[in-house]
Amino acid sequence: MEPTVISPLKAADALKQAAAAEKRSAQAYRYQRFAPYLFLWGVIWVIGYGGSDLRPRIAGWLWLGLVVVALAASILIARAFADGRADARIRWRTAAFFVAVWAFFAATYAVMHPTTALQQGAFPPLVVAFAYAVLGLWTGPRLIIAGVALAALTLGGFFYLPQHFLLWEGFVGGGALILAGLWFRRV
Amino acid sequence: MGELDAVIHQPVRLKIMAALKALPPNEQLEFVRLRKIADATEGNLGAHIQTLEQAGYVAVEKDFADNRPRTRVKLTKQGRRAFEDYVAYLRDIIAPGP
Repeated sequence: MEPTVISPLKAADALKQAAAAEKRSAQAYRYQRFAPYLFLWGVIWVIGYGGSDLRPRIAGWLWLGLVVVALAASILIARAFADGRADARIRWRTAAFFVAVWAFFAATYAVMHPTTALQQGAFPPLVVAFAYAVLGLWTGPRLIIAGVALAALTLGGFFYLPQHFLLWEGFVGGGALILAGLWFRRV
Repeated sequence: MGELDAVIHQPVRLKIMAALKALPPNEQLEFVRLRKIADATEGNLGAHIQTLEQAGYVAVEKDFADNRPRTRVKLTKQGRRAFEDYVAYLRDIIAPGP
């Protein structure tokens, strides 16, 4: 049987098709990896911000408990993706990430001295929104959209609904994260 | 310069191989996602996956997730190498080496 011979034009076209499929697949894979974390933090925000608005006295303890739950859930998610491999590394890496985030906010608050609960509540979502938008430059446009939407919703609540900002951030900001998580699961 | 791999050189199979190549080694892709990426019908995709499986390029795993049947596909070592050779062959056609 004679070997198939193709023209440079057809070869270029085949390479283009392959590159497009690779790009789409890699992007869908990254979105799929990110989706459960968005969903998790959406739920944490609904409970955390919503609870802080309804029971401001226990807000500190509530967030402490939620962070512990988020840490445990993040380890479980990472383990599920790793198919049970490198368990200890996953635990340490996830815990170190949480400590780094906590240290960042503790240091920033110590330096900037936010004077109101409103400022304290608005700062983390803005940092998260910024992180999503920047990560989106490498991951794909959906993360940029999620970041921009989160920042816009946070700023909207901060300036136009200050008396119910925490409730707003919980249900609208947290709800947006949950929706983004569902959206990321779709190819 | 080798020969063109006729198993890969078909639009849907090429997309399947490229989509699987984009994943880390041993990572599987669900049939449903693969169908969207390859832009193929269910029957068409199934037939092409079978061709690739017979060539030893992909491995298919069927199980149940949330009480639903699930089919996952991954690239084998042989498949990864074949795809790399295929891409190298095409690049050589476009810009022949010395």
